[in-house]
Amino acid sequence: MGKIRSRTGIVVVSAVVGSLILAACGGGGGDASGGASGAASGAASGAASAAASAAAGPQKGGTIYILSNAEQLQTLDPQVIYTGEDLAFLGATIMRSLTTYQMSPDNNEGTTLVPDMATDTGTATNGGKTWSFTLKDGIKWEDGQPVTCADVAYGVSRTFATDIIAGGPTYALVYLDIPSAEDGSSQYKGPYSGEGQALFDKAVTCDGNTITFNLNQPVPDFSYAVTLGFGAVRKDADTGADYANKPLSNGPYKIQSYQTGKGGKLVLVRNDQWDPATDSWRQALPDTWEYDFGLDESAIDQRMIASSGNDEFALSLGLTTASLPIVFDDPAYESRRIDAFDPYTRYVAIDTQKIPNEKCRQAIGVAIDREALRTIAGGKYAGDFADGLIKPNIGVDYAPTGLWDGLLGQPVPPTGDAEFAKKLIAEAGDCPTTITLDYAQSADADKAAAVWVDSMAKAGITLKPNPIEPGQYYGIVFDPEKAHELMGAGWGPDWPNASTVIPPLTTLNGGFDLSRWDDKDWNAQVKAAQTELDRATQATMWQELNTAAAQKMLVIPTRFGRDQRMAGTNVGPVYSWPAYGSWPYAAMGVTG
Amino acid sequence: MSGYLVRRLMLLVLMLVLLSMAVFVLFSLLPADVARLSCGKACTPEIIEANRIRLGLDKSVIEQYWVFVKGIFAGRTYPEGGGPAALVCAAPCLGYSFRKNATVLQLIGERLPATIWLALGAFVLFMVVGMVTGVLAALRRGRWQDKSIMGVALLGYSLPSFFLGLVVLFFVIIRWKLLPYPSYVSPFENPEQFFKTMLLPWIVLAILYAAFYTRLTRSQMLETLGEDYIRTARAKGLPERTVVGKHALRAGLTPIVTAGGLDLAGLLGGAIITESVFSLPGIGSLAVSAVVDPDLPVLVGITLITAFFVIVANLIVDLLYAAIDPRVRVAA
Amino acid sequence: MAADLVAPPERSSAKPDEVQGRSIWQIAWGRFRRDRAGMICLGVLILLVLIAIFAPLICHLLGVDPYALDPTAIDTEEAGKPIGPWGGASLQHPLGVEWGTGRDILARLLYGLRISLLVATVATLLTTAIGTVIGIISGYSRGAVDSIIGRLMDLILAFPFLLIILALSGALTERITSLGVPEGNASRITYLILILSVFGWPYLARIVRGQVLSLREREFVESAIASGAGTPRILFREILPNLWAPILVYATLTLPAYIGTEAVLSFLGVGVLPPETSFGLMLADSVKYFTIIPSYLFIPGTVLVILVVTFNLVGDAVRDALDPKAGRL
Repeated sequence: MGKIRSRTGIVVVSAVVGSLILAACGGGGGDASGGASGAASGAASGAASAAASAAAGPQKGGTIYILSNAEQLQTLDPQVIYTGEDLAFLGATIMRSLTTYQMSPDNNEGTTLVPDMATDTGTATNGGKTWSFTLKDGIKWEDGQPVTCADVAYGVSRTFATDIIAGGPTYALVYLDIPSAEDGSSQYKGPYSGEGQALFDKAVTCDGNTITFNLNQPVPDFSYAVTLGFGAVRKDADTGADYANKPLSNGPYKIQSYQTGKGGKLVLVRNDQWDPATDSWRQALPDTWEYDFGLDESAIDQRMIASSGNDEFALSLGLTTASLPIVFDDPAYESRRIDAFDPYTRYVAIDTQKIPNEKCRQAIGVAIDREALRTIAGGKYAGDFADGLIKPNIGVDYAPTGLWDGLLGQPVPPTGDAEFAKKLIAEAGDCPTTITLDYAQSADADKAAAVWVDSMAKAGITLKPNPIEPGQYYGIVFDPEKAHELMGAGWGPDWPNASTVIPPLTTLNGGFDLSRWDDKDWNAQVKAAQTELDRATQATMWQELNTAAAQKMLVIPTRFGRDQRMAGTNVGPVYSWPAYGSWPYAAMGVTG
Repeated sequence: MSGYLVRRLMLLVLMLVLLSMAVFVLFSLLPADVARLSCGKACTPEIIEANRIRLGLDKSVIEQYWVFVKGIFAGRTYPEGGGPAALVCAAPCLGYSFRKNATVLQLIGERLPATIWLALGAFVLFMVVGMVTGVLAALRRGRWQDKSIMGVALLGYSLPSFFLGLVVLFFVIIRWKLLPYPSYVSPFENPEQFFKTMLLPWIVLAILYAAFYTRLTRSQMLETLGEDYIRTARAKGLPERTVVGKHALRAGLTPIVTAGGLDLAGLLGGAIITESVFSLPGIGSLAVSAVVDPDLPVLVGITLITAFFVIVANLIVDLLYAAIDPRVRVAA
Repeated sequence: MAADLVAPPERSSAKPDEVQGRSIWQIAWGRFRRDRAGMICLGVLILLVLIAIFAPLICHLLGVDPYALDPTAIDTEEAGKPIGPWGGASLQHPLGVEWGTGRDILARLLYGLRISLLVATVATLLTTAIGTVIGIISGYSRGAVDSIIGRLMDLILAFPFLLIILALSGALTERITSLGVPEGNASRITYLILILSVFGWPYLARIVRGQVLSLREREFVESAIASGAGTPRILFREILPNLWAPILVYATLTLPAYIGTEAVLSFLGVGVLPPETSFGLMLADSVKYFTIIPSYLFIPGTVLVILVVTFNLVGDAVRDALDPKAGRL
């Protein structure tokens, strides 16, 4: 439903839902930590097939094709890219960053931070308020000029030009020590207007090859934050908003051509200025990458299954529900398919200002048939029943909340419990009898809405479905005047720390608080967890907040999403890279 | 003739002005949230306001229209008046898409080839098929040939394009695997793949349109075959082929050509359904994506270009009429 | 673009016989009755309309429900695939069930038929009314009014109307709601009907205008003018009765075109909202599954084609009956 790449009908174009597609760096050994049953199989089969492909061995040369239903990549601008798959793909090909994640199918290794352009993963001083990174020597742009500290600083400064570089991650805005103007915006207006440039130059300094960031608060996980929106851009090559189409590469490939829309292609060819000696992370095996846009999703599935011609070297980014039984019931596809957690938790947010009574919110959560919802999305392939906002694959921050196992007073079956819901409503006394569900329209979401109507009716609540054009969805639900009581959504963490889940989703200035939950004590607890420097203590604090949020039913967690996709017969390795739940692009090559 | 031409050209300009105004008024009904849509996660009212100014949405519809018209002749910048990092859209500027980060003209230009190939191929196919079957049906009027042709034509006339497209896709590509999945390339780059991709869309459009021309040709033929001069020609002992081809068909050709010209113009504006079903990178599929992922400048641009084709085609058809039949000039 | 979704609109004007007054209908009906294909189609059509009107009753008798979820008919372990071949066809669900929800296809088809016919019929009536009135005004007044209306029609016909309908649907539906029409499907259906009529009337108006231009010159009109009859009287008493034939022919051919258009619009996501359904929505939903379950595509598609073909055949028969000389066009 939510801000997630949705694969919809043949002409109803998918891709961008609002401009709120977030990166997601879920990962960590969540499968083992229980709570989410039946999760382990995907990761295990992913790892097994990786081993199988490794036997054939990806080789240098050839072309890898990516078959996409989307009309384009949302952006190629290093300051704006925010979609996990795009970060993985562009990061592996044309855009280097200070740090990145290890390339491995293993949940722990795959979310371990490693240096990329920097010599290490950064040095914190001043109690975590100052961070420095030193660039490696010999990193060059595609035109042969060296990538300098100034280029990184300039790239970061572009984030401040919010009128031109819009829609990307905003960690630079939030963390850098630059004072705010009266209206809350930064006093630095970005490199184009130049207003407040001195403030930025004080916050971000260059000393030879070493870049130093001065922050406004201790940020223990700043070295993770620099994976998002901190890419280098050279000032004389910057074309403003237009940079999103043809950025200058500093990776092993460069853009040969880029056309969006149906039949469009992004073609990447080798960049001879890239020096493998500076880069232990990218294998750079194929000679060419070709990203094919605007293909019909059923057609993609059929082509992937047949895997003939160039499709031997093709990757798909998902499977339609109808293809899942075919692909997963047949052992012939075992080495070519992936079934793994995607980064997202799907949920339905409840506006706590419209339904302030906790018991009323609980009643709605208890009544809904989560099993029917999951079946529409693809049954077991769509994911596991969620028990909170934090997803198991995030690692240490997850612990089962027991939401459906007695946290509300008695266990709730996946099919919902209308009687229990009625009991809660009776206890509360003042629950609304008619509520409206806002959702981004798609064929599947329409069916899910029918389930909502059905489940709520059983508990004596009249539910009105309110489908909204996907392109306008978040514009509407973030407007309290236009939004209704219930809103479908999805969220993935930006990196493996619940600091990118609980604060944005449960505090009003967090940015994604659809529940409009604003509680003083709560905010203080969140702040305490955010700045806690001991990781183990911090994890416990997040777990407690997660359980409390579930119990208060700020949102109804429905599903920890899973993702299935396929590779052609001659491309590998085939596994889901836990860092972004994406293909391991940096390690991939043709195997035939 | 020249006086008539001048009058028609003036009318054309007037129509274009009216049309562009109508488009502007219509699209000004759209929600003003366009500025919000091009705003990201950290969306504050200030950013929205800045976007509105950059997109020129802070101005009244009349002012926006004026800036747009000026842009066509003199180019424009975003924001209006230039400034640091302002985007320049050179004349003729039909607008700039912040969704796709390209000028509207550039986007349309990229997609025009596929649409033109689709339109031309389908046009040739449906004109030939329609006229041949129409003549055949007329000559065999009332017999089984006539009845079966007209039956098939009625079916073709009644098929919804997307259903026909999906059915053809299902059988030819998925079930029987006779053709690969469509993947558009330029005919100069890879003629074989081009033809394999375009064949089905051409056939689908041809089926939809040919039915109309079969019916039109048949009725025109029936009308002219009944005229005196045809009877005279037959009486003179001219071979049937000459009678039909030279006399009957030619006399009935004008309305067929008229309709053909207008259909071709319509197709040049993009065949939304056919392009979408067969994943062709044409104007029609660009339009659909501009609707789904609201992209106002692109919508305005496509609407204008498409309407422009139709109006110009109307003019050409009328001029051809006038050239053939002097009475038209007087009447107009 | 418009022509891509429905068969190209009629371009040549019908030429009704210059038959006097009342007898034309009796003559036409006599001719129509002898047209066997036309009569059969009319029978099929009446049957379909009756089915649409009594869809709830039929569903009740068959024990099917378009909205009821049936988890027992689908396999939750197999991504919600219907159990059994042909989309889970069984005695309980004669045409199978929907993927993921188990809703009955037959019942949804019948309810879809209702909506498609409702939209097409009302839009046709409205189109015909607007087209007739404006056509008469344009043809009778001639001069400046006529040429302004003429340019307006050119303008409307030049618009890529499918694109406009798609682009404006959200905004205009909201306007309609704010004017007091209930939110949701009522507003959406109103929008469909209005927008189809707004872009549809010029075709008929042109035909009517041509008729009126020639009728004006006829003696009975001139004598009415000479006898001092008022303009409304001339328009509605003298001229309108002579226009019924082309109007009826046009209307019977517009209705099937609108059924097709409504399907296309629903297919593109502009039509009715779930849980209601229409042919276009069912077909749009089939796209994801039709490689596995072809019946999702072929059942609504076939019914849609049958509906449009029978309407077109009846339209042709009506034309033949009213104007045997015009031939089939």
